[in-house]
Amino acid sequence: MRKILIVGAGQSGLQLALTLREHDYDVTVMSARSPEEIRRGRVMSTQAMFHSALQSERDHGLNLWEADTVRIEGLGLSIAGPDGGRALDWFAPLDHYAQSVDQRVKMAGWAELFEERGGKLILHGVTTADLNGLVDLYDLVVVAAGKGELVGLFDRDAARSPYTVPQRALSLAYVHGLAPRPEHPTAPGVRFNIIPGVGELFMIPAYTLSGNCDILFFEGIPGGPLDCWDDHPKPAEHLRRILDLIERFLPWEYERCAKVELTDDHATLAGGYTPVVRRPVGNLPAGGAVLGMADVVVANDPITGQGSNNAAKCATSYLASILEHGDKPFDQEWMQATFDRYWASAHDVTVWTNALLQPPPPHVQQILGAAQANPAVARRFVNGFDDPSDFQDWFLDPEKAAAYLATA
Amino acid sequence: MSEDSAQNGRPKRGPRSKRIRPYALTGGRTRARHHLLVETLVSVPSYDPTLSETLMPESKALYERARGQLSIAELSVMLSIPLGVVRVLISDLAAQGAILIHPTAHTYHHDRNMLERILSGLRELPV
Repeated sequence: MRKILIVGAGQSGLQLALTLREHDYDVTVMSARSPEEIRRGRVMSTQAMFHSALQSERDHGLNLWEADTVRIEGLGLSIAGPDGGRALDWFAPLDHYAQSVDQRVKMAGWAELFEERGGKLILHGVTTADLNGLVDLYDLVVVAAGKGELVGLFDRDAARSPYTVPQRALSLAYVHGLAPRPEHPTAPGVRFNIIPGVGELFMIPAYTLSGNCDILFFEGIPGGPLDCWDDHPKPAEHLRRILDLIERFLPWEYERCAKVELTDDHATLAGGYTPVVRRPVGNLPAGGAVLGMADVVVANDPITGQGSNNAAKCATSYLASILEHGDKPFDQEWMQATFDRYWASAHDVTVWTNALLQPPPPHVQQILGAAQANPAVARRFVNGFDDPSDFQDWFLDPEKAAAYLATA
Repeated sequence: MSEDSAQNGRPKRGPRSKRIRPYALTGGRTRARHHLLVETLVSVPSYDPTLSETLMPESKALYERARGQLSIAELSVMLSIPLGVVRVLISDLAAQGAILIHPTAHTYHHDRNMLERILSGLRELPV
């Protein structure tokens, strides 16, 4: 039986671990926190997942919360205009619903499921020194812990990483009591609000420890009025500040917020990071090699909500590469090829996400405006969140965009 | 996945309540797993020289040392093996029954009587 060590108990690491167990691999997962500590900890992300990523969980019986979780039926876009009005305001359905399950719920539950399925869960924050000693004990070591010192084992790929500083200041709160958007009260949807020159507010229906909720998630352009979280306010003050900013910049959304309250004492988060693509093979001081996974090697800004989708797709891709390799050694050549296979899809997400961080060029403004009057255009944009490879065929290129809009 | 584990892993809930305690999500289950904390004690229940000969060098060293009862931290320091490696190797040895992981206070964190006994024992230490 082949022995595989996975460092990190997030979407990618646990999904890969659980699916490898179906094939009788001897799998060990090292997690810095116990399932109980994860549940009692702070929220980690917004983790909206679209159809193909959700399907990759269903295929392996990992969709344990699907029946309880609110279905995200579509995505709406609003652009703030002068005087508290809206320059654009539309909503389009997703062909298949999306869902967001709080990672505190999912990762804790998956870690326990992994143990029930015969996996070994070791509670330990792994250091480079640990990996030096561990790498010889396994056929393959995968690093899936996107935060912490191990990321430093993987060199930044400058040619694929256009940014050197964070592009947004991030801040979010999980709340109960958000009223539905009056335009589509029975179809829960992600609301994507753009404040030109200032940032974005996403409102995402989700499932957390205390049931269904909504996530209020600001992306602030650095140095602007939404970049105001360096003092790490306490949860109540954090929510108050978010609501004040919604009232100031997005009054139509503030009307929905009259009854909101935090879901729990750990329901707020602020931070920021630089989008980066790294080289997939990490070389240890003592000579071993380890394979980086998901946001260890491809960390995009959350503005396109693709982080957990990428993690799920990476787990699916790596699983296939591992199974197909049979009993042959997991050498560095295989590691590079395994990443390259995943990068084929992650590349499209990365290019699209990095583009959306910039002020919208004229052809993007035309597309978003055309979507107001033409549901087919809106629908294509919205469903691109499930399959971002479609964007290169129209959204990312002025000429292709013009050609599409002429026929749509 | 068996039907059974699907049921265990799934939160059993009715209509949304805002005040479900986090542990309700495990279905009230308590887990008999032993946390390998730095202070966790391990020992070899019945030493087997034949098994020892089959182990990898680091595992063999741990197995030999643990013939007397020792903590995870002590083993790491004595053998100059990083803590994470000790945890993994001890976990593997425990899984095959070669090493016994002794319960710590953490194991009893739902058992108030046991915690009070441990606390009173600590108070009586002659320090």
